[in-house]
Amino acid sequence: MMRTGSYRLPAALLLWVLNVAAGEPAVTHVEDQGLERVPLNTVAPVYPAVARGERIEGDVQVCFNVDREGRPYRIAVRNSTNRVFEKPAIRAIRASRYQPLPADQPVPAIKTCRTFRFRLEPVPAD
Amino acid sequence: MTIARFLPLLMLLASLAQAQTPASQSGAVAKTVVGPGNTDLADGATALRVGNAEDGVRLTERGLMSASSRRERVAGYSNLCAGLAMLERLDEALEACNRALELDDRHWRGYSNRALVYLKQERYPEAERDISVGEELNPNARTLKTLRAMYRDAVDPVAPSIIIDDRREAAGDDADR
Repeated sequence: MMRTGSYRLPAALLLWVLNVAAGEPAVTHVEDQGLERVPLNTVAPVYPAVARGERIEGDVQVCFNVDREGRPYRIAVRNSTNRVFEKPAIRAIRASRYQPLPADQPVPAIKTCRTFRFRLEPVPAD
Repeated sequence: MTIARFLPLLMLLASLAQAQTPASQSGAVAKTVVGPGNTDLADGATALRVGNAEDGVRLTERGLMSASSRRERVAGYSNLCAGLAMLERLDEALEACNRALELDDRHWRGYSNRALVYLKQERYPEAERDISVGEELNPNARTLKTLRAMYRDAVDPVAPSIIIDDRREAAGDDADR
């Protein structure tokens, strides 16, 4: 899994490519402004080798709560197009962190949801 | 790519010893068909399985000289093919695979090993044909799945990409909030 720092820009939509190093998937993070909890350390899931070998793409939506310290809990898959992606998605959420809340701010009960889209892009043959 | 190509080879070799004890595969009473009868072939398969290609080839060649049945010769030539492929002696490996398949044209490991040789030689149409035949003979073989993935990576390479979408609209209106 790749750990990535998170930062925010004034734009309504933030999109950045985090890593295109050889052998690691390119990771793009898209988010709204004004999210209830601010990502601090976003971990990208591993692309399962089996899925890659069989050229399987898919989406997994995971919903969870975030505690005061920024740790996700009650992590559950809400939607998934293929079970092969679910474990990597859950592991990535478990390893991710959000910004902690100040002591005087209540922890929102609202769930946070994140969708992972696993894609395979064609590349020129050697 | 180099590592990715090496992994399935190890998997191929890991399956060699199993080829010599078909009785145990079927869950029947353990009865070694080839191993004890031809210790060189059995030791050669073991050497190949742990990655010792030189000893594996030497022992397998010696075992083939004393092979007493068609089954032993098929397993021996197929293992020899895998060992020679490990040593990058691809033309000789191909010859050994061909001999195994001449003796038994339904030996999926022979097709699997020959497909690996073809992949190493970048003879992709032939590799694809052997992978397909192997898949017909043994649809669940992990080795063949790995070879299929290697073949795809060779002829139709892809790069994984992951989009992490935190937008509310991605969560949908029916989110359990």
